[in-house]
Amino acid sequence: MKKNTFYLIFGCIALALLFLFWYSVELHTPLLIEIAFILGIVLVFLAKRKVTDVIDDERDVKITEQATIRTMQVFWVVFCAFSIGAVMQILYVPTFPRQPMGTHPPDLLGPRMIGYIQLGLLCLMVFLYVGFRIYYAKKYGEFEIDEE
Amino acid sequence: MKNKIKILRAMHNLTQEHLAQAIGVNRQTILAIEKEKYIPSLDLAFKISRYFGVNIEEVFIFDEKTPTVMGT
Repeated sequence: MKKNTFYLIFGCIALALLFLFWYSVELHTPLLIEIAFILGIVLVFLAKRKVTDVIDDERDVKITEQATIRTMQVFWVVFCAFSIGAVMQILYVPTFPRQPMGTHPPDLLGPRMIGYIQLGLLCLMVFLYVGFRIYYAKKYGEFEIDEE
Repeated sequence: MKNKIKILRAMHNLTQEHLAQAIGVNRQTILAIEKEKYIPSLDLAFKISRYFGVNIEEVFIFDEKTPTVMGT
């Protein structure tokens, strides 16, 4: 398979996933898009293995590796900070006599808010990865101008 | 890590594209190595030197004064 054919397949899968996301939202069935997303990623990996042109050489792998490591290093700190806050909500047992009887703590992290925060974290992860990828691509000579 | 890939290419009248195709990498990788932005792996370094039919030390010159981290 040629490199351009792979990119075409990738685009088709992305469009199909976008359509399925909209369809899942309309039907309110998250399982559909969750399964479709996993299948889509598997299909992309299978298609990539069939490509005969050179797409990723060792320098590309190095850039991807470095960008992924740095993204994870930043992301896990932010994710843990959020998760600690979320876990506090379920572990809250009012044993200290600070609040009058019958008073509950304000529910800061409702299911809807958790959804929004997760969406924000997902966007953060994507932006971090793109940012680090650009940084390491520049470091390893991706944007060097050729005099040939 | 300095290298003489550009000189060897000129001697063999080779473009970066041709060399890249011959050793199975992207042209940008050859450019990055020539500009000393990327140090190739031992495997790739051997491939390049064998393609030109010379020893690895004749293509890549280890510079002790410049500290290099593996894979940078």
